Amino acid sequence: MNASLKSGLTITMAIMLFAVTACGGNSPVNTGNAEVPSAANTTGATAAPSDTAKEPIKVVWWHSMGGELGKAVSQLVIDYNASQSDVIVEEVFQGTYDESLNKMKASMDSKSGPSLIQVYEIGSRFMIDSKATTPVQTFVDAEGYDLSQLEENITNYYTFDGKLHSMPFNTSNPILYYNKDLFKAAGLDAEKAPVTFEEIKDAAAKLTQNGQTGASFAIYGWFMEQLFANQGIEYVNNGNGRTASATESQLNNETGLKTLTWWKELVDSKSALNLGRKTDDTKKAFAAGQIAMTLDSTASLRGIVDAVGGKFEVGTGFLPKPADAKDGGVVVGGASLWILNNKPEAEQKAAWDFIKFLAKPETQAYWHINTGYFPITKKAYDEQIVADNLAKYPQFQTAVDQLHQSIPSPASQGAVIGVFPEARQLVETAIEEALTGVKEPQKALDDAAKAITEKIANYNKTVK
Amino acid sequence: MNMQEGKLTLAVQRKPRSPFASQLLVKTVRLRENVLGYLFLAPSLVLFTLFLFFPLLKSIYLSFQLTDPRGRVAAYVGLDNYSQLFSSELFWNSLTVTGLFTLYTVPVGIVLGIVTAALTHIKLPAMRIFQFMFAMPLALSVSTAAVIWMILFHPTLGMLNYILAQLGITPIQWLTNPSTALLSISMMTIWMQSGFNYIIVLSGLQSISDDMIESAKIDGAGPMRAFLQIVLPLLSPTLFFLAVISIISSFQSFGQIHLLTKGGPAGSTEVFVYSIYKEAFINYQFGTGSALSLVLFAIILALTIVQFVFVEKKVHYQ
Repeated sequence: MNASLKSGLTITMAIMLFAVTACGGNSPVNTGNAEVPSAANTTGATAAPSDTAKEPIKVVWWHSMGGELGKAVSQLVIDYNASQSDVIVEEVFQGTYDESLNKMKASMDSKSGPSLIQVYEIGSRFMIDSKATTPVQTFVDAEGYDLSQLEENITNYYTFDGKLHSMPFNTSNPILYYNKDLFKAAGLDAEKAPVTFEEIKDAAAKLTQNGQTGASFAIYGWFMEQLFANQGIEYVNNGNGRTASATESQLNNETGLKTLTWWKELVDSKSALNLGRKTDDTKKAFAAGQIAMTLDSTASLRGIVDAVGGKFEVGTGFLPKPADAKDGGVVVGGASLWILNNKPEAEQKAAWDFIKFLAKPETQAYWHINTGYFPITKKAYDEQIVADNLAKYPQFQTAVDQLHQSIPSPASQGAVIGVFPEARQLVETAIEEALTGVKEPQKALDDAAKAITEKIANYNKTVK
Repeated sequence: MNMQEGKLTLAVQRKPRSPFASQLLVKTVRLRENVLGYLFLAPSLVLFTLFLFFPLLKSIYLSFQLTDPRGRVAAYVGLDNYSQLFSSELFWNSLTVTGLFTLYTVPVGIVLGIVTAALTHIKLPAMRIFQFMFAMPLALSVSTAAVIWMILFHPTLGMLNYILAQLGITPIQWLTNPSTALLSISMMTIWMQSGFNYIIVLSGLQSISDDMIESAKIDGAGPMRAFLQIVLPLLSPTLFFLAVISIISSFQSFGQIHLLTKGGPAGSTEVFVYSIYKEAFINYQFGTGSALSLVLFAIILALTIVQFVFVEKKVHYQ
């Protein structure tokens, strides 16, 4: 009895002690964090000159490239680590862009975060406002790195107030995918993709036969953003949020209404299917030959062509727009790399060195052909593997042409909103409401625009 | 608690070593028992404090604040978060959706539990196989189940629509049509919870002694009558427990919705917990997110109290 009591006592005491130290120990670490970077900085600075030869600097890179894309990323990291001995990059897959960004937010007040992170384009405003990053421009200026070797229409997106804040890494835009065999069967010209809303509508009506449906576009807010830009119309006010912070969503303007009505008419007339928000579901239906046209990112090109195999010939065309639309262009999608400023300077420099490696023409050429993302470096197109790839997959040409033919303007430069992830969800809800008949298109857009404007106002209140 | 202490001290008193057991000894023994009791409670109290009470208090604090994009407190806004909630259409929508979801899943789930348990209660040699089959959904995680159903529900390539097409019925847009999405999710949820419901009801059934049914039969009751008037009343504590648990869990359902519809289409499956998740972890509005979660806490608390006050009276404990 006594012995068991004693041992019970020690065990509970041990547990309590552990709990107390665990939670008590936490707070000093957290509050002390503000000073850690500077302390680490000084040690890093003193240690760096003597130690660099022996101990490589570790750079932790968080990214969101899963599956085939993830394999390509791993290969790039292996190549980089093998190419020099000063820096070791450790790549960590952190789930989708949303998940990774959320994890970063959670890690911001501790040392557990990455030194380099891949963030999707719509997270850019947040990354700047968080004041947690060192703009890439700092490193560019310090060593006179030549930015003109990169594609302007890609760097444009990530340039704010004349400063390049992050390094573009994977860039894509949406293109039209179509089933050439079904086009032929319906008596359409398989070599000429429809380019206007009207042509799409006609083609879709003709293609809807024998159990196939003419088209299906996943309910994805990104497409709405792109369709706006393609008509040369800004998505939010204040020059798409680039001349000053955006304060108002322009989703419910004439362009929005025209685009959504077109989409709804396609679905209502049964010449298009609504397969929901999952782009993957639509992609599968396309690869199975159940729908004849779809919109998807260029980054899906390899995947789609491979999934289709030899079942039919995949055609690609530009993102459509109304026949009477203004000139516009597509916005670069994808993601860029951000260097976080809570790490020692040496580590940030090491991250920059890795970024430079990623921007090299050879690296970009490899990345491009294995994924479908654009090379961000102009010279990458001169690489032999890129030429070979284009010969094998001529569909890649469409994406490249579409990027190069985009007319630079605030519209095609892309909207900047701090609350973009939520805005996108609200847009998706509006599209769903219109397509499924819950609300009239105008009403759905009005409600979404109002909600987005409110969110922006809230955001602007908290960011100074 | 007091009762038990009384019993414990009595037990101690009954076998005193010395015949002159003094008042003092009883007191020290009682003190010792108390300290020991609290020590045994200590680990769970510490854990509760860390993971329940502290977050609850923090939520209450956060619900009066506005947070910046990093989730840090930016400004004190008083009751603004709450008044914003009650005036927002989304809030009422998510309440309605949660209510409907509970209505669709709980009664059907419980009836299904009773039916499956009654079916396998008969003692036949192959019954083990059916018992295993009915209990199996319990072994699957929400994510696995969601992935399975995602494939079944696929609008053009899914098994369900394939079967419908074979029967000559027009395919259903399970998850992409606002009028069917919640029903589809409910279907999946009922299946997912059927394992748990089944096991609970079966164990309830097995605790009813055969004598009672035997004697009812001797008195001339048919199987239906025996079931309705003997078995069901004796099962009522189990069913009550199941109802409380099911309602709470349907109010807290999240995984299947996150994986299958993300609250869409057009908010038709946006249950309460999902809107909390969206507000806090997508929008990074911990203020309104906390306010929402406190409202959920209040609702579940109220529901549980109502059940214990009114429904429990109808429950027959043996």
